[in-house]
Amino acid sequence: MLPWNYGFHWNLGHIIFLGAFYLVLSTLAVTLFAAARRSRRAILDHRVEQIGWHADFHELPPRDRVCRHVLTGEFKSRECPHAFDCRECETHSRLIERHPLKAVEEPEEDLVGMTFPLDRYYHRGHTWARPETDGTVTIGLDDLGSRLLGKPDAIELPQAGAHLEANGTAFRVRKGDADVRVLSPVDGEVVAAGGPDSGWYLKVRPAAAGEAAFRHLLRGAEIKPWLLREMDRLQKALSPSTGAYTMADGGVLVADLTASCPKADWDAVCGEMFLEP
Amino acid sequence: MVRQGTARQFDKQFIARGSSRCSAPKFLLWIAPWAALLLFGLYSAALCLIKGLNQTNMDNRFAFGLWIFLDLTVIALGAGAFFTGFLLYILKVDELRSVINSAVVIGLVCYSGAVCVLAVDVGQPLRAWFTFWYPNVHSMLTEVTFCISCYLTVLAIEYLPIVLRNRKLRQVPAFLVFEFELHKLIYVLAGVGTFLSFFHQGSLGGLYGVLRGRPFAFREGLAVWPSTFFLFIISAAAVGPSFMLLTTWLVEKISRKRLVRPAVLQLLGRISGSLLAVYVLAKSIDTLVWINRTSPETGFQAWQYYSWKPFGSWILVAEIGLCGLLPALMLLAPKLRRKTGWLVTGAFLACLGVALNRFVLTVQTLALPTLSFDRFMSYTPSWQETGTFLAVVAYGVLVYSFSFRYFQLFPQERELKGEMPKVEEPELVGRY
Repeated sequence: MLPWNYGFHWNLGHIIFLGAFYLVLSTLAVTLFAAARRSRRAILDHRVEQIGWHADFHELPPRDRVCRHVLTGEFKSRECPHAFDCRECETHSRLIERHPLKAVEEPEEDLVGMTFPLDRYYHRGHTWARPETDGTVTIGLDDLGSRLLGKPDAIELPQAGAHLEANGTAFRVRKGDADVRVLSPVDGEVVAAGGPDSGWYLKVRPAAAGEAAFRHLLRGAEIKPWLLREMDRLQKALSPSTGAYTMADGGVLVADLTASCPKADWDAVCGEMFLEP
Repeated sequence: MVRQGTARQFDKQFIARGSSRCSAPKFLLWIAPWAALLLFGLYSAALCLIKGLNQTNMDNRFAFGLWIFLDLTVIALGAGAFFTGFLLYILKVDELRSVINSAVVIGLVCYSGAVCVLAVDVGQPLRAWFTFWYPNVHSMLTEVTFCISCYLTVLAIEYLPIVLRNRKLRQVPAFLVFEFELHKLIYVLAGVGTFLSFFHQGSLGGLYGVLRGRPFAFREGLAVWPSTFFLFIISAAAVGPSFMLLTTWLVEKISRKRLVRPAVLQLLGRISGSLLAVYVLAKSIDTLVWINRTSPETGFQAWQYYSWKPFGSWILVAEIGLCGLLPALMLLAPKLRRKTGWLVTGAFLACLGVALNRFVLTVQTLALPTLSFDRFMSYTPSWQETGTFLAVVAYGVLVYSFSFRYFQLFPQERELKGEMPKVEEPELVGRY
């Protein structure tokens, strides 16, 4: 291996064999070094949240990674290529241009006994974002999210001044066995923190102004098909592994699901519904 | 009681969300006998290392025994790691994503186990570095040593993202980011792993094929490579997927969980069956050439080798027919492949076949007399050799058990949890 060893003479065999060996070793070293260097840069550039979401997204089952236009029936099947960030999606802007969303006249959507006000935008991780007149955005849990967690045991909210990223962690909630992070619907800086009793969790000064800040969020006519699919996911998540899932016709969700079904694996159910595999 | 609850909570934090695992006491009960076996094996290995190879039943004539048989077999069975990586990351067979993590763990266990046993076999562990510092570049064994140590490094690096993806560990930002970035470069590791595996599987076969003094093993070939070089590569690539199929089925049975879709197991069976068919064809041609040309040229008729009992000609029939052609046909027939019993039996026979092949080349080769004053020798491993062998088995079970419990070896497991298993439609036998 070492040409300076006693009695070593170069020949073609040595060159091929040692060349291949050193090439392999250097490829491994360079790969590890490149991964470490990229990681360092990502941490310095504050991309940890973004990477965390991308890693989570790719671990979701394919049925949970579908494009929003599958929900509305525009595609039969399509996996979201942008990890639910439609702000950079050309297909989304083209489709919205061709078929603008129908205006919904009612002030709120009443779905399976849950209320979804239409003055706000919804994130697929069960948060909403409501633009306020003072330029801030209020963030809260949607009705399904609130019913899933009921009255949380503990909440970890970011302090005022903290920076949030769309699809990054907005806050953490613990309820019984379940410990989940809730995704932020928008980019911005936290200006105030609320809680379940105040009806909202965070007030944020958004990084982008106007419609651009909400382009990736669901709205109006998109909410109903999305929620029906979410109900289907919830039933599947709650069903035992050994049997078929069932739900009585015409029933509505109770206010505190966790307390009503204490035997379910709520950590898994909440992880599934809040998109944290 | 409170302490027990806290321990349960702590244990649960490391288990992937949505993957139900048995309770910690039940798990401890499962690993206890394996840990005991490992301890016994470590004691046996320590005796061999401290007192020397006189603890074994090997001698100057029988220099290769149970350990080398184990090395060759586990390295062939662990080939699923490189071959699955090659198919998934280089040839983009995306269906295999659901078993790649398990394949990496199997590969790591097999290769690290083999390296540990080799270290005991070679002895003098403090001088282990000599093989790298003063290598004999004309020896196939040097190629084997270099390739196996490099590939073990590759497997350890490939195992790293599986560990760092653990639910608790990924909460550390540096681990999360490093795992993500390393995974992006995984195709480089898959390529390097394929290159290394290709050569060391071949070199292991070549070790026997170049033994001119052992005409039972000696083979002709291409340039410096005897035919066994190529046969080892094909056979390892063929049984690697079979061993993965077998382990996945076994883990499903033990854990009583559905871990992958049946289609994935059938795909593994099809890949294994196709390569096994190629191997059986190549091996048959090689055997015919050896019987009719190579062996007579060395002064022996092939039938002479099979006159020494218990190594009769049945061993050749079992190796090529029963554990080669038969499983190849079973794995290639779509109708049989759809039935789990046939699929698993085919995979088991394929693995048995490769083990038999490695046994024949290691033990039968050395047992047969080659010189006029030679006599047939039999060899039975000592308890220290058997103990060391069992330690590798126990080590493998332990590493796999811990990996299965705390890491996500089968990403489809969670999806399958909420799905009803497909009930096969009864087939119409005919018109009536």
